[in-house]
Amino acid sequence: MLPGETGWTSLPRGCGQRWNVGGWGRPGSGGDTELIRPHCCPRHPGARTMLPLLLLLLPAAACGQDPRLYTPALSTLPLGGLTTTSTFVLDQPRCAFPNSLSDAVIWLVVAVPEGVPSFDRTLEPGSPDRAYQRFPANTSAYMTLNTTLLNYPCPKADGEISVLRVGSETSCQGDNTRPTCNGPLPGPGPYRVRFVAWDNSGPVAETKWSEPIYLQKATPQTSIPRKDRGHSAAMIALTSILTILFATLLAGLVAMLVCWGSDACGVSSTFSKPEAVTVQRYNTHHVYDHPPSRL
Amino acid sequence: MAKSDGIHILQGLLVFGNVVIGMCGIALTAECIFFVSDPHGLYPLLEATENDDIYAAAWIGIFVGFALFVLSILGIIGVIKSSKTLLLVYIILMLITYAFEMASCITAATHRDFLTPNLFLKQMLERYKKSEPDNNNDKWMIDGVTDTWDKIMVQNHCCGVNGPSDWQKYTSAFRITHNDADYPWPRNCCVLDDQGSPTNLDGCKLGVPGYYNSNGCYDAISGPVNTQAWGVAWFGFAILCWTFFVLLGTMFFWSRIDY
Repeated sequence: MLPGETGWTSLPRGCGQRWNVGGWGRPGSGGDTELIRPHCCPRHPGARTMLPLLLLLLPAAACGQDPRLYTPALSTLPLGGLTTTSTFVLDQPRCAFPNSLSDAVIWLVVAVPEGVPSFDRTLEPGSPDRAYQRFPANTSAYMTLNTTLLNYPCPKADGEISVLRVGSETSCQGDNTRPTCNGPLPGPGPYRVRFVAWDNSGPVAETKWSEPIYLQKATPQTSIPRKDRGHSAAMIALTSILTILFATLLAGLVAMLVCWGSDACGVSSTFSKPEAVTVQRYNTHHVYDHPPSRL
Repeated sequence: MAKSDGIHILQGLLVFGNVVIGMCGIALTAECIFFVSDPHGLYPLLEATENDDIYAAAWIGIFVGFALFVLSILGIIGVIKSSKTLLLVYIILMLITYAFEMASCITAATHRDFLTPNLFLKQMLERYKKSEPDNNNDKWMIDGVTDTWDKIMVQNHCCGVNGPSDWQKYTSAFRITHNDADYPWPRNCCVLDDQGSPTNLDGCKLGVPGYYNSNGCYDAISGPVNTQAWGVAWFGFAILCWTFFVLLGTMFFWSRIDY
């Protein structure tokens, strides 16, 4: 374990669920290097991190490839935060470097595309020309996320999710004493990355440059249209029907009052209130029974 | 006698119609009280959008429902006693109540159409966790929006209006105080444990399925609001259609009464 690394190798590996995230934060920087365990990871019998070299040389087929054939790329996992406005997630360079480089330090180089053709591979990581804080204004590339091959074991175990989050360290963003800070990217990009291996004698291996990586670009929220509402057919139907009904009722009320005022309606078929009515039969004319003798 | 029977049938129908109006009035009052009590806690969101007239429609519904109940009793008495005065008072007051209920229905239906995803999105981006309130009213709305969104995101396991990508696609007041690398989306978008802290913060920041909420909250918001709007609008519409026929019958009956 190199100085400067936080301890993801210090946590016990074993059968259980496992998930490695390279964040290289300082202890207490926010817990980027927690281990989570989603799947069981079969390991070689007796494999332990303290015996890396011997066990990695066991017949494990495609281990130790030519780094010049490896292209770094964004993770293929369905991650919601694959690219945000200032970070992106790469696949770890598993099985990209040969085992002979097990004591070299693997660095990640992040560059603007214009700096790729003129990239000077001899500039040392941590030097001012490769400092994160001076990127991209004063330098076209910076180097960060240094580790050894121990943290990129080959072959990759099935079910293991191994990713690198570039841009996760916010604590050292303005700290000029930490030029290898894995700070958030300053703009939406594009950026191109590659992995390089350095040892005491200089750069010893490099991968290819990645395709340009574009980050999310945030549009101003004032551009969201506010007046995108329409009127639904249901509301129009409801309004018109209710208006017609109300108008009919008002017309009825007017007719009623006109009726009442002029006493003109309902005379022919009215009915009386059911009150007690007594009908007397009485004679209107004097009708006498004249005796037939008057003739 | 057939004429008198016809009038008696009409009286019976009108009494029945008024009974139904009375019961519907009580039901309308109860429904609107339920909506005004805001069981889902969404009122602060609508208040912040300045489009809270759906609640105004529900308030009117409470009083209209009660008025319908009282007037239906008056109508029943007027029809049974065949009193021209009582029925005239009944008809005029019913028309006033009718107009108010019409206003309530149309308001609920119209304002429901205003509640699009973009409306809530704008409010969320402008007010959620905004740190510099302009004035007291702004602070009130900011607190309402922030607390409501925090509660909605946790209870419904959702994030943003359309999804967590809302926080990436647009600038926001939240983004001003919370940098993107540490907070690609608010902490409440993470799957939280019982103590309210994320089960896995790295997983949440990366967006690993299972450690963060990937759905949008629009369905959880618009569902209850739509139910309320349509409940007030369409139930009111049904009552008004029924009341229309009862009132026409009452007017006809009134014109047939003779002292």
